[in-house]
Amino acid sequence: MDGFTYNNIFETKGIEYLAIIAFFAILIPFWLFLNKRIKSKKRQNGVAESLTPDSLRIPQGLFFSRFHTWAHLERSGVAKVGLDDLLVRITGEVKLNRLLETGERIKKGDFIAEIVQNDKSLKITSPISGEIVEANALLLKNPEFLNEEPYSKGWVYKIKPTSWVADTQSYFLAEDANMWAKQELVRFKDFLAESVVKYSADPSAVVLQDGGELRNEPLAELSAEIWNDFQTDFLSKKTLCRNKKCFRQEE
Amino acid sequence: MMNNNIPIAIDRDGKSVWKFLISELKPKGKWLTPFNVISIPIMILGLALIVYRFIYGIGSVTNLTQDTPWGLWIGFDVVTGVAFAGGAYVLTFMVYILNIRKYHSIVRVTVLNGFLAYVFYAGALLLDLGRPWHVVNPIIGNSFGVSSVLFLVAWHFLLYMIAQLIEFSPAIAEWLGARRAHKILSGMTIAAVIFGITLSILHQSGLGALYLMAKEKIHPLWYSEFIPIMFFVSSIFAGLSMVIFEGSITHKVFSSQMSETNHHKQNDIVLSLAKICAGTMFAYFFLKLLVFIHDQRWDLLATPMGYWFLLEIFGFILLPMTLFFYSYRTNNIAMVKVASVLTMLGVIINRLNVTVIGFRWDAAVHYIPSWMEIVVTLAVIFTEIWIFRWVIARMPVLRESPSWTKH
Repeated sequence: MDGFTYNNIFETKGIEYLAIIAFFAILIPFWLFLNKRIKSKKRQNGVAESLTPDSLRIPQGLFFSRFHTWAHLERSGVAKVGLDDLLVRITGEVKLNRLLETGERIKKGDFIAEIVQNDKSLKITSPISGEIVEANALLLKNPEFLNEEPYSKGWVYKIKPTSWVADTQSYFLAEDANMWAKQELVRFKDFLAESVVKYSADPSAVVLQDGGELRNEPLAELSAEIWNDFQTDFLSKKTLCRNKKCFRQEE
Repeated sequence: MMNNNIPIAIDRDGKSVWKFLISELKPKGKWLTPFNVISIPIMILGLALIVYRFIYGIGSVTNLTQDTPWGLWIGFDVVTGVAFAGGAYVLTFMVYILNIRKYHSIVRVTVLNGFLAYVFYAGALLLDLGRPWHVVNPIIGNSFGVSSVLFLVAWHFLLYMIAQLIEFSPAIAEWLGARRAHKILSGMTIAAVIFGITLSILHQSGLGALYLMAKEKIHPLWYSEFIPIMFFVSSIFAGLSMVIFEGSITHKVFSSQMSETNHHKQNDIVLSLAKICAGTMFAYFFLKLLVFIHDQRWDLLATPMGYWFLLEIFGFILLPMTLFFYSYRTNNIAMVKVASVLTMLGVIINRLNVTVIGFRWDAAVHYIPSWMEIVVTLAVIFTEIWIFRWVIARMPVLRESPSWTKH
């Protein structure tokens, strides 16, 4: 018989078994490693996760003020305050400029810090009244904590409160905070729609709307004028909060 | 008696079906695009060559001989083209059987692609038959040919084309505004899907099985008893790579049709497909390794064909697999596209290695396709793209279905 060859299949059986074992052995770390996606990578072109209520981090034990700052009273009686996830996700990477020093007394609603991105800035309002005990020194060297861990390493001030209960009475906690965040996103989308149209020649290119979801860091690519509008129209005291719902006060 | 309740032809603006069809035949869009300028002359030349082939015989147009009776048209058009159409069965499996709704937005375009691929490549098969009028024999029974794998291939192609047509027909019904037809056809979708997946799995491997009896003719590095399984497994990632590749093109060209949500979802879909490709290629690599060990081909590696084999494995299987892996982990869409192109090249190389390059590699006169074969192949592909473009521009494939479909 021409061209007939006979391979002794038993000669390779041992190696084949080893190959199969190697396959399974490598498969497990392959699969585990494959699924461990690098999520906190910087935004790639065209691959932005969206800014949705489900993607927001809202610790259930923190009081959220309508100024998008949070306050948390610790056992020692000193409260930590900081920026909420919604705000830092809207603005993108920012640096913090502190306006106050240890020992200063402040009232709820006073400006306590400024967050800066290039030539744009926003003033941050204090959620509680009291005396500044400590400012977070880590933020000087690691400003990214504001964005990555706004509730833990990214705290801004430690304040000894003088009227905790009165100050936090209208604030949002747990379920209320979740619902408020959803509403704030909707309110932000409305704000964006008005504001972008005012300043931009081609509004459709800027953010993604129409029932679609917001990109991450929508304010990062917008102008300083829109940031000013954001400060006065969205974050301002003109915002009324009634029954734990916030509205823009009618002129 | 006025019929106010049941609008018969909303999408047709009240025109009769025939007037509507004729108006749809008119071109939408510019004539002189770069793609048109390149494809039209090739298509015309290809048509002329096909006519010439049928008048003067296959030998006048191709370099096929008694030693190498199957060449580019079968090796590339049929065997490779069908592998690339494998995206249809993988996606319909994921969406309709596994209920992974994420991919739902791309099912229609992929099924359309698969349907056109089978129609055109089965058509291209006709060109290669010595007696094309005998192609109906496996169906009508004038000598069924049951001892040949081709009997299975013939029946499968026919049935699968029908199944895909049924899967796609709701889109046609929406285009024509045929509501009752739409309801009936939508009900048949799941049956057509199950049938189609079953057929696909068998004929993807069946095309490989065609070469099982050519043991002495195919180079040992590519011949094994496991060719059918290899063809089946590689059709999974070949099809998905084609989905990624073709998706990125239609995404740009037809972006005006796609809704915002579908635009957003596209990247997520592409990354998930990359993950599936990475996993499948991992398994495929080990299958190849096992077969290589089993057949004891070590001594062949140090030959030119051996180096070509190693290039195929490392450059076109392991490399794109790694790229898919890395790009999924880092959300890098551009890298996914590069990986999918490399994968597709690898599948083409693999299929051509089995059917053309490795087939009678030791012949005195190697088979090299003639320019006419290449032109005809390109003409077939371009015609398929033209029809694809025609359908997408008119039927609700990428754009949302009309509201009356949401019963």
